[in-house]
Amino acid sequence: MIEGRSITRTFAARRGMLGRRGVQALRGVDFTIPDRGAVSFIGESGCGKTTLGRILCGLEDFDGGDLIVAGRSMAGLKPGQRAPYHRRIQLIHQDPYSALNPTRTIGQILAAPLALRAGQRGEDRGWLEQRRAELLGFVGLDPDYVLPRYPHMLSGGMRQRVVIARALTVDPDVLVADEAVSMIDVSLRLGILQLLRDLRQAVGVSVLFITHDVATARYVGHGGQLYVIYRGTVVEQGDTDTVIQHPAHPYTQSLLSAIPVLRGIELPGPERVVPTGPLDERSEPPGCLFEPRCPFARADCRTAPPELGQLGGTEQRHACLHPARRSVVAVPAGTGAG
Amino acid sequence: MADTPAVCVRDLMVMFPTPDGPLPAVAGVSLDLARGQITGLVGESGSGKSTLALTLLNAVPDPGQVVSGSVIIDDVGDVLTLRRPELRRTRGARIGYVFQASQNSLNPLKPVGKQLLDLGRSHGVRDLRGFLHSARLLIDEMGLDAERVLASYQHELSGGMRQRVGIVLALVLNAHVLILDEPTTALDMLTQASVLEIIRKVHAQRHLTTLIISHDVGVVGDLADRMAVMYAGRIVEEGPTQEVLAAPKHPYTRGLLTAMPRITGDITEARPLPGRVPDLASVPRQGCVFRPRCPLATEVCGTAEPPVTVLGDRRFACFVAAGEAA
Repeated sequence: MIEGRSITRTFAARRGMLGRRGVQALRGVDFTIPDRGAVSFIGESGCGKTTLGRILCGLEDFDGGDLIVAGRSMAGLKPGQRAPYHRRIQLIHQDPYSALNPTRTIGQILAAPLALRAGQRGEDRGWLEQRRAELLGFVGLDPDYVLPRYPHMLSGGMRQRVVIARALTVDPDVLVADEAVSMIDVSLRLGILQLLRDLRQAVGVSVLFITHDVATARYVGHGGQLYVIYRGTVVEQGDTDTVIQHPAHPYTQSLLSAIPVLRGIELPGPERVVPTGPLDERSEPPGCLFEPRCPFARADCRTAPPELGQLGGTEQRHACLHPARRSVVAVPAGTGAG
Repeated sequence: MADTPAVCVRDLMVMFPTPDGPLPAVAGVSLDLARGQITGLVGESGSGKSTLALTLLNAVPDPGQVVSGSVIIDDVGDVLTLRRPELRRTRGARIGYVFQASQNSLNPLKPVGKQLLDLGRSHGVRDLRGFLHSARLLIDEMGLDAERVLASYQHELSGGMRQRVGIVLALVLNAHVLILDEPTTALDMLTQASVLEIIRKVHAQRHLTTLIISHDVGVVGDLADRMAVMYAGRIVEEGPTQEVLAAPKHPYTRGLLTAMPRITGDITEARPLPGRVPDLASVPRQGCVFRPRCPLATEVCGTAEPPVTVLGDRRFACFVAAGEAA
């Protein structure tokens, strides 16, 4: 299990002589990734979801709070000592075209980390080859076909599967998939999403899925927890399907309202929520961070920032003083319509 | 008024040289853009959708070559026969084109206002004051602050704002045909929704004929009146969006829809489409191009390219679907 406790991260911004105020990418985020669990982070670009993923993988440091990996507090360890813990968390990059060395065959790409692994376990070359074939089997690739080939000879979908197989060579606890299908052809996306779903059972790994696309989060995160992140804070959290079907926070509602409606098979939700303006990252409202864009903001929203779950509820927690149920999600049109 | 299409593409063939000899990126495409309507063109990477759209400007990039076919745009004629000066006048003044990643195609060294003036001058606009005025109105229509936008460099604008500036540049010369190539790719959900809303609004207010190209069935399904599905250089299905989505005929369209994770319905019913997306070299040379991935393929599919079946307002190119319809 991996746990984040009030994680904060501020990026220094040079702003001339007067302000040296940084950009607060994360303002105290709590989350839990259970063993074999599925967790999704959704939000707009710049909301901090990618920073959170990078912190988990050890590619980025955090300023405050703590990250607990395998029972150890990362805040209490020196950066050099954290490496073996972060190795349990592997990142699946967005771009499978630049994630693989173009001068190495797939066989070589997978053999390098497996050789280290074999050394640690005192195994021989036979183990390596067997494990390599096994991993390729997990990700749905034919070893005889892909092992002798170079990355450019494979499709985007196959390359992403190789990237996933490579991440699995170190027997990770968690795979962090950050927009992992956005560069894959649409007809092949679902195959990768299905793989991420199935790996939880097949190899016992948890999946953290980071995306702005709610529909893919619904697919991969089915049965898991969904975190809606806005400007570095969690504004709503709960069971994935519950949050998508019954969003309580106006920001979640506006994200769901923004999903294109397939005419002929879906009808738009009758109470679409549209933010009153674009995101202004320079503004620092004293109360709720979403208040300046919220169509339902009231006077008390400007006084103090609401806390997640302060209004009770365990299945689904939100940070809104005036939550209301609104039908924003598209509904299936009657069958045979058209 | 909606009887004659504003744009008529007929039997278009565009070839690219490859190590295996010239191969078609667009292979015999016919498509009408109905006047005053939004037509959506869906296809995956390498399906030829951008090449098709560029032929509407007669701007197929080297080394591609249009080997046959015609693109008739009303008031203009066949753009494929136009000479350079006429072509220059047509582009921009008749056809507005918002390029893929247009949010990155602004000049980083000049403010937007200067780039607008460059556009006006290069098209011989005499009344630049009036030209700027109409640009301001257009920027207002997009829900942006005209003064701020005109004075801004591209890095001072967000992705959604740059995309809107791209639309302004495409329309400021009063084009009546608007082509948008992947207008919302790389934008997140909320920005995408606002850009789609603006396209819808501008399209209606200016009585445009609009073509929107996307790999995302959702974008086309939300916006387009009619949709065409492209695969391996062919249009495999075309018709009113609602009908195509509610009852797709071609197995590729069906497969694409089932392969889409959706927000409604039973999520466990989603199924991936098998096989791989063909590139120029791996497109089957004989028979139906979708055959290697098709769950319904029969022997006849390997013999010849399926002819286009016309069924009321709809067209599709599939032997099996034609048999079902008969």
